[in-house]
Amino acid sequence: MDRSAFESHLKPVLDVAYGYAYKLTHNQDDAMDLVQEAAVQAFRSLGTFQEGTNFKAWFMKVLTNKFYKSKARETRRGRTVSLDDAEDMYLFRESEKAGVMDTLDTVFDKLEEEEVQRAIDDLPEEFRVVCLLYFMNDFSYEEIAEAAGIPLGTVRSRLHRGRKLLQRALWDVAESRGLVGAAAKGGRA
Amino acid sequence: MSECSCREAFERLDDFLDRELTAEEIARVESHLCECVVCAEAYKFQGRALECVKAKVGKMKLPQDLHDRVIAALDECEA
Repeated sequence: MDRSAFESHLKPVLDVAYGYAYKLTHNQDDAMDLVQEAAVQAFRSLGTFQEGTNFKAWFMKVLTNKFYKSKARETRRGRTVSLDDAEDMYLFRESEKAGVMDTLDTVFDKLEEEEVQRAIDDLPEEFRVVCLLYFMNDFSYEEIAEAAGIPLGTVRSRLHRGRKLLQRALWDVAESRGLVGAAAKGGRA
Repeated sequence: MSECSCREAFERLDDFLDRELTAEEIARVESHLCECVVCAEAYKFQGRALECVKAKVGKMKLPQDLHDRVIAALDECEA
């Protein structure tokens, strides 16, 4: 693949790459640097890309690897989420208990994008990367495996556990905001 | 096609919602969901929850000069 072909593959994935980089680094300048460095690295490593395969997933892998090696990773704040496993289907069970099964959409509508983003940010790194690729890009498990550089089975288990942790975190946010639980019931009375 | 149990439906929930099952597996799960109200409700709820999170993890607007910066970096790389 020559430079021109590389650019035509790269251009349509730049917005997705930037969004992913921004959510990894939490900073516009760092995100732009990361995408730029990944683009240069990808161009130098074109020999490892197989024509006809998924360029977007391959480029995201280069970007993820760059991020892992970058200073941005060293400076990100430590995780705050508890690693104790949440119950399976945590939101479903808690919503059922709280009687908000039918109003979940309303509860979510009231959550700010930043609150949801923070809940993802607080996931341990290995879950955060997989969840970002999944929730932001709607990647298949195979694409996530390629982009994160991990086996398919690991994607499945990390995504499963990451989603459980995320459900618990989002429920906690909704509870602390009084959107569900006793405060919400009191508010409706 | 053999029947799918509640346990199997539960274990396949994520894969089903993520479109990672084969056509045969999907048919088995869907057949079970037609019969089991409890599992159907759980699947519907989890699907909605996922969509809600995806909607909140918004797309970012590309900074105007990023494309130019990338091109300049590639030029430098080739020089």
